Amino acid sequence: MKMDLMSGYKGVVGLVFGNENSSNEDRYVERLLDRINNGKLPDDRRNAITELQAVVSENKAFQLAFGAMGLPIILGVLKEERHDVEMVRGALETLVSALTPINHSKGSSNEVQPDLMNTDLLSREEESIPLLLSLLEEDDFYVRYYTLQILTALLSNSRQRYKLNSFHGSLIPEVVISSCLERTLADFFFRLQETILTIPRGITRLMDMLMDREVIRNEALLLLTHLTREAEEIQKIVVFEGAYEKIFSIIREEGNSDGGVVVQDCLELLNNLIRTNASNQVLLRETIGLDSLILILKLRGSSYSFTQQKTINLLSALETIKLLLKGGSESDPGKDANKKTNKAALVQKKVLDSLLILGVESQWVPVPVRCEALRCIGDLIAGDSKNLDLLASKVLGEEPQVEPALNSILRIILRSSSMQEFIAADYVFKNFCEQNTDGQAMLASTLIPQPYSMNHSFLEEDVNMSFGSMLLHGLTLGENDGDLETCSRAASVLSHILKDNLQCKERVLRIEIEAPMQSLGAPEPLMHRMVKYLAIASSMKSKDGKSNASGNSYVQAIILKLLVTWLADCPNAVNCFLDARPHLTYLLELVSNLSETVCIRGFAAVVLGECVIYNKSTDNGKDAFAIVDIISQKIGLSSYFLKFDEMHKSFVFANVESSLTHRSFSRSSAASMADIQDVDENDLSEKKNMDHPNLSSILDSYFVNFVKRLEANIREQIVEVYSRPKTKVAVVPEEIEQKKGESEVEYIKRLKAFIEKQHTEIQDLAIRNGTLAEDLAKTGNSLQSEQRVSGGMDRVQIETLRRDFQEASKRLEMLKKEKAKIESEAIMYQNLAAKTEGDLRSLSDAYNSLEQSNLHLENEVKALRGEGHSTFPDVEAIKAEAREEALKESEGELNDLLVCLGQEQSKVDKLSARLLELGEDVDKLLEGIGDDAGAAEDFEDEEDAE
Amino acid sequence: MSYAYLFKYIIIGDTGVGKSCLLLQFTDKRFQPVHDLTIGVEFGARMITIDNKPIKLQIWDTAGQESFRSITRSYYRGAAGALLVYDITRRETFNHLASWLEDARQHANANMTIMLIGNKSDLAHRRAVSTEEGEQFAKEHGLIFMEASAKTAQNVEEAFIKTAGTIYKKIQDGVFDVSNESYGIKVGYGGIPGPSGGRDGPSAAGGACCS
Repeated sequence: MKMDLMSGYKGVVGLVFGNENSSNEDRYVERLLDRINNGKLPDDRRNAITELQAVVSENKAFQLAFGAMGLPIILGVLKEERHDVEMVRGALETLVSALTPINHSKGSSNEVQPDLMNTDLLSREEESIPLLLSLLEEDDFYVRYYTLQILTALLSNSRQRYKLNSFHGSLIPEVVISSCLERTLADFFFRLQETILTIPRGITRLMDMLMDREVIRNEALLLLTHLTREAEEIQKIVVFEGAYEKIFSIIREEGNSDGGVVVQDCLELLNNLIRTNASNQVLLRETIGLDSLILILKLRGSSYSFTQQKTINLLSALETIKLLLKGGSESDPGKDANKKTNKAALVQKKVLDSLLILGVESQWVPVPVRCEALRCIGDLIAGDSKNLDLLASKVLGEEPQVEPALNSILRIILRSSSMQEFIAADYVFKNFCEQNTDGQAMLASTLIPQPYSMNHSFLEEDVNMSFGSMLLHGLTLGENDGDLETCSRAASVLSHILKDNLQCKERVLRIEIEAPMQSLGAPEPLMHRMVKYLAIASSMKSKDGKSNASGNSYVQAIILKLLVTWLADCPNAVNCFLDARPHLTYLLELVSNLSETVCIRGFAAVVLGECVIYNKSTDNGKDAFAIVDIISQKIGLSSYFLKFDEMHKSFVFANVESSLTHRSFSRSSAASMADIQDVDENDLSEKKNMDHPNLSSILDSYFVNFVKRLEANIREQIVEVYSRPKTKVAVVPEEIEQKKGESEVEYIKRLKAFIEKQHTEIQDLAIRNGTLAEDLAKTGNSLQSEQRVSGGMDRVQIETLRRDFQEASKRLEMLKKEKAKIESEAIMYQNLAAKTEGDLRSLSDAYNSLEQSNLHLENEVKALRGEGHSTFPDVEAIKAEAREEALKESEGELNDLLVCLGQEQSKVDKLSARLLELGEDVDKLLEGIGDDAGAAEDFEDEEDAE
Repeated sequence: MSYAYLFKYIIIGDTGVGKSCLLLQFTDKRFQPVHDLTIGVEFGARMITIDNKPIKLQIWDTAGQESFRSITRSYYRGAAGALLVYDITRRETFNHLASWLEDARQHANANMTIMLIGNKSDLAHRRAVSTEEGEQFAKEHGLIFMEASAKTAQNVEEAFIKTAGTIYKKIQDGVFDVSNESYGIKVGYGGIPGPSGGRDGPSAAGGACCS
């Protein structure tokens, strides 16, 4: 196998670089290797290895050629010639060059990557890893340094395995090699981790490198970062060996967040150690505490200058906080307890203050860091009542310009120019309001509408503005300048405040907003204002055409989310919504408007559904029945339900679960702010009618699940509405009877009225039925998935059908039983019949044969007779002759018989006498003789009868 | 949280001798009759007091199965103390002690304190190794020895504390360079009286400050 691969690689070399060139290069490398291997003069060998290193580091062809031939020789040097430092150095440096990519950037994807091939080849050498680890104990600095570089290259190259996929597309005939290579590299990373574990003190030796000279220490950091990825046992050993102390002392030395890329490396290693490892998180808390970590987050001195490296360092440290707030891997049962302890420990170290400085207070912090800090605040308070209260009580700024931290965060939401920052700040409010009725009530209590004129006289910077005024201001800001963006952001915060909190919902329902100009009419409820903005958002979109589509669909989605949240479980909100007739019409239009995204249509459908299920109204035309009727007339029930299905398949719903991705910052200096830039400008041009990418951050999984639950309710409730008549025609038998003292005329009148009522109801039903039938006819044959829906539309019918079916099946059961009984009887009779038949057949056979013999005899007789007639004259003579003869004969015989008889008689007499003497009844003994024959005849007769 | 010293321990020995149960009894003061097989290495910690000084013990409980030996070996060098455990009702666990000891001598630092523990002393009626044999083995190899029961908690405290006492004594005698944390000993921020306390005064902690 190994041989095959080798020759395969040679083939690859030939194919890729052309035969003439490659053979030259092959031959050249071969010559150098021969000098190294067989040379007698030490200097010549050293020169050869230096030359080899030089060519391998410059040219891909030499890299390939070396990989195919040189590894055993170089490994031989490392094994056998430890004493010759120069040779060992040369050998190691050559290996480093063989594993380093040359000009990858411009290489076409179909080209073979020699560094990856060589990684594969070296990893196949069983002894290579132990050999390399043993070299780490050498005294020579370069030996240790190159060895670390080789190990790091092996690890990082083997993680690039996916790039090799393109290998398949190349023209190389030996496809077998490529698939082989892919698999082995994929395995190799983990194999290398395992190998290092099996070498006694393997990790320990690597950890010692952290105490070595700076260059080696930095290289060791990278290697350890690779090694600790997804390897719990290695993570534990590294921590046991005091990694935390070393990491934080390096970070301190380098100047915390102001340090260089080494700080980033340290933090990345730290994050690997604790990412999914609760036990290591415990150790971090217990061994060195969290002070050093929080120290990194502190801004000192020139806190207005943020280099790119500092930004990345801070983001890495915030990632550490985030991991601690997660508490370990999802599957760990102890995760939640650990998370709680981590939170308590972090809060005790005043992490919230640092986070607030980074996320809210400091003006100079780059947006990505602010976002990350806000998300950490969100995680810190999630589900922790103490921390919720702590955040609520925080005050920022200096006297007299102080304001509650929550107000500052709200200001970020309303005013930030970055969508990411809004989402991050919104996350804080989402977590603040979840399961926190007191907090919600506190925020809602400040929602007091100001007179319109005052509303606009507020200075936006005014720190004295209450939370509520700021929020209401934001909600209604769109009035003048059409800034629906701010309005939707405020709506998002409001929906958090209302979520699952009936009291807050009722309270906010009572808020009325003055009309922009007094002359334009009475104040209107806040909710109506929100619906109005929703309508404006969609109308603006249709005006603008496609250009602004995604932006406004996101505004619509947030306002719809607010309505969905508000109407849930709140009949008064439903009532308020339906107070204005146009609302319903608008909503119906939105549901069936195909230029809206599926999400918008779906949410609108949910709001409609809420108008049914939370409808306590008894007004005609506003009650649940009326809404259902309108839905079925204007939209059609099946296409209404279809909106839900479409919504589930939409991008937002599908992505909600997978929003957690781990990002790692690129290390190279050119690596771009792209990593840390805002992702506001996502390219959407290719996808028309698509939801806004940030929508998935706003429509969190909690909301999505909430909508799913609602949807099930809606389906059920609508079917329910259809399966029972309105209360007005409930038939009470007594009502039909003539009442006592009721005159005939009155009775008839009453009955007539009753019949009229029923008549209208029947008409209603007929109309409804007609709509349904139409709906069915339209969709019934097109979509099978709708069968369920349309089938559920008439529960009554199903109920009767079910009853019929049950009855029928009961009857069927009975019939089956009967059938079985009859069948068994039939079988019995069949058997009987068969038996009888057999008997009959044998009898008839017997009869036939009897008849035959009879016939035969008759014929014989006839023949005899005929014979007799024809020879008549002779017969008489013969007869006479025969008779005489016979007579004579018989007489003789008779005499003989008589004699015999007499003899027998005497014998009998004698014997009888003798028997009598012995006391035996002779008559009885002789009785049975002669009866036997008669009995047998009887039996045969009986059988015949059957 | 503050401690004068932090000691790292490991617990080693054949599978099923009760290593995890000893740790649980020591850290949580409870006994769990059915314990899952330890995978790799688990961690536990507790504060104790020696010579009126708070001492933190960090204990790594290793898997006894052969397949984990290569992983658990990585923990030897950085440990200040080791509890080598056998089961007094299973002779073979006693017979394997020599190989465990050899492993420890090979991979651990030379000054590691080893405590030999004959566990399950509550099962005296099923005893397969006599106390004298245990004592004899310990004496031959220079170990401290105790019989203990993770079930009844008998001698569990004592075993951990006595090991810590021995390490503490070695520190006082200047055996360790406590500034080098690779020996499994760390000087704490708090708890050491006098001006020489803290991590900046490792030489002073080497014996000058003891009473």
